[in-house]
Amino acid sequence: MLMAKADRWTAVALLALGMAMCVGGWTMDRLEIRQIHPASIPGLVPMILGGLLAICAGLLLRASFTDTMRGSERIMVGGSWSRLGITTAICVIYALVLIGWASYFWATAIFTFGFAVIFSYPVEGTARRKAIAVAGAAALGLGIGFGSALLFEQLFLVRLP
Amino acid sequence: MSGLQDLVAGLALVMAPTMLFHAAWSTLLGIVVGSLPGLTATMGVALMTTLTYSLDSNAAILVLICMYVGAIYGGSRSAILLNIPGTPASAATSLDGYPLAKAGRAGYAMGLATAGSALGTLVGIVMLVMIAPPLAEAALGFGSFEFFWLAVFGILVSGQLTADTTPLKGYIAGILGLMVAMVGSEGIHAHVRFAFGLSDLNAGIALIPAMVGAFGFAEVLTAMWNKAGVLAITKDKSDKTIPDLADLWRYKVTIVRSGIIGTLVGIIPGVGEDIGAWGSYAAAKRTSKEADKFGSGSHEGLIAAETGNSAVVPGSLIPAITLAVPGSASSAVLIAALFIHGIRPGPLIMIEQPHFVGLIGAMLIVATLFMAIFGLSMTRLFIQVLRVPYAYLMPVVFVLCVIGTYALSQRIFDVWVMVAFGLIGFVLRQMKYPMAPLVLGIILGDLLDKSLRRGLTLTDGEILPFFTRPVSAIFVALIVISILFNIPVVRRLALAPLRRIGRWRDA
Repeated sequence: MLMAKADRWTAVALLALGMAMCVGGWTMDRLEIRQIHPASIPGLVPMILGGLLAICAGLLLRASFTDTMRGSERIMVGGSWSRLGITTAICVIYALVLIGWASYFWATAIFTFGFAVIFSYPVEGTARRKAIAVAGAAALGLGIGFGSALLFEQLFLVRLP
Repeated sequence: MSGLQDLVAGLALVMAPTMLFHAAWSTLLGIVVGSLPGLTATMGVALMTTLTYSLDSNAAILVLICMYVGAIYGGSRSAILLNIPGTPASAATSLDGYPLAKAGRAGYAMGLATAGSALGTLVGIVMLVMIAPPLAEAALGFGSFEFFWLAVFGILVSGQLTADTTPLKGYIAGILGLMVAMVGSEGIHAHVRFAFGLSDLNAGIALIPAMVGAFGFAEVLTAMWNKAGVLAITKDKSDKTIPDLADLWRYKVTIVRSGIIGTLVGIIPGVGEDIGAWGSYAAAKRTSKEADKFGSGSHEGLIAAETGNSAVVPGSLIPAITLAVPGSASSAVLIAALFIHGIRPGPLIMIEQPHFVGLIGAMLIVATLFMAIFGLSMTRLFIQVLRVPYAYLMPVVFVLCVIGTYALSQRIFDVWVMVAFGLIGFVLRQMKYPMAPLVLGIILGDLLDKSLRRGLTLTDGEILPFFTRPVSAIFVALIVISILFNIPVVRRLALAPLRRIGRWRDA
């Protein structure tokens, strides 16, 4: 995607966020019942920040049309979309689903094993290399699951999720 | 004189066997973290904060400082061997380090980087001990007006200097950080803002989960997105890791100048090590007799970059300790860690804990000592570390991000915050939004908010005192100049006399 296009979409989102913040600050409880000084209302700074963000979003939108040199730069190029997608998916599943659903040890062991085996499995390698990759990932998964559980539960006295 | 005495007393404390043990392992771990592309010093310090909850405060701070010093130095390893800076701080190092490695002089390049880093940190320590106490004393006279402008100035300068393309993106990142700080109970009337009925948001968004997300998870994603580098490990027979003293003596002026530049950059809020390295590198190139060698394996360029980035570490601690305003992203985490361990950074530090600056100086000296020992003696080990596949490394990092964040207050909500900041941080980085102003915004948001409203209450809604008090007026002038300098016409007009002088001198 071109930077100019990305900036345009971001500017619109930031403009909406800035205006929402401004409105949120304006409509925020002014605590008159507590007879606070009008200059110390809780919504003052959010209003200012919302306004400033909206102005910056406007400038960003304008720059996306005028600054052709920066705008022609491409973003999200040169990397691997599949690696990024898989990493995001398994990390999010681990952090938001597995943790809390399974015991910490098993959640961590499954995640670490899955991550390591997905990215280290030699699809076109010999059977021996494949077996080594799976065994290595399994050892890492169990080791990290056990080690981190032991460290945080026994040493740092954390009640694990 | 008392600064020196505090330093000696601090050294006596950190020379205890247990403390030396903590310093040794944490510096080594820091070098390993820093040397791995994708793992930065900020992430190392943030993750280490979660691992030091149970240590006593002095040991915990020592571990974090050693991690910080080690990681900033460690970044030079991959910059030299892979041409990929292990941390952004080492980007300038790769310009001359990698050509040296390709020429079979990787060992010597690493030796020079070690010497430069050690000397840079030492210059920074001297300045820390000299500047921090008077600065804290001066800051005692600061009121709400000055603190408000200090927060504005910090975010503005950080946004301006760390932005990759346009300062506008730096400003936006800073404002977003301030907005995050607006969530939760505010500091004057304890009114809960923008919680949307979620009780987990009542206390606001904690800094550590946000930082672990923005610097930990986002870096895991970045590392998996990027392609791996190629190790430059051809070895010349004449290669060695101990640098020649004659080589260092020849560049003594460069070392001192880079150390001073790095420390001064460190003092500027939220700017960080990479700017210190680039500033020192540019200054060295401008004044060098061998400027043509820069970029193709110059010893002077390598020393300047490494001295500059390492000197930022003590420099960034100066405002962090005395004003509670971080000089870099890593020192922002350190501030949070200090609060966790019951130390309140800010102007009162010299009254509440007058020996603290000396103690920090002593910790930095010990960290530098171990950094030099490990750096010069374990070159082979660090080459092996760079061979560890991401498939094994990154899940371990992410597990630590998750469990470290959870351990802070044992809430699953903090893990969600970490994940959200990681995803947003990754996208923002790809779109060239700097992370340092965002972090600075989160940490300074409360100060800015309270200072503005307190100041307005004191003056009964009058805003004039915000501009007329002497220190406030200086901050306002600096802010206006910073903004005006972004306008090309103003910049051209302002720099015209300097250009004329330059042309006259050349003629």
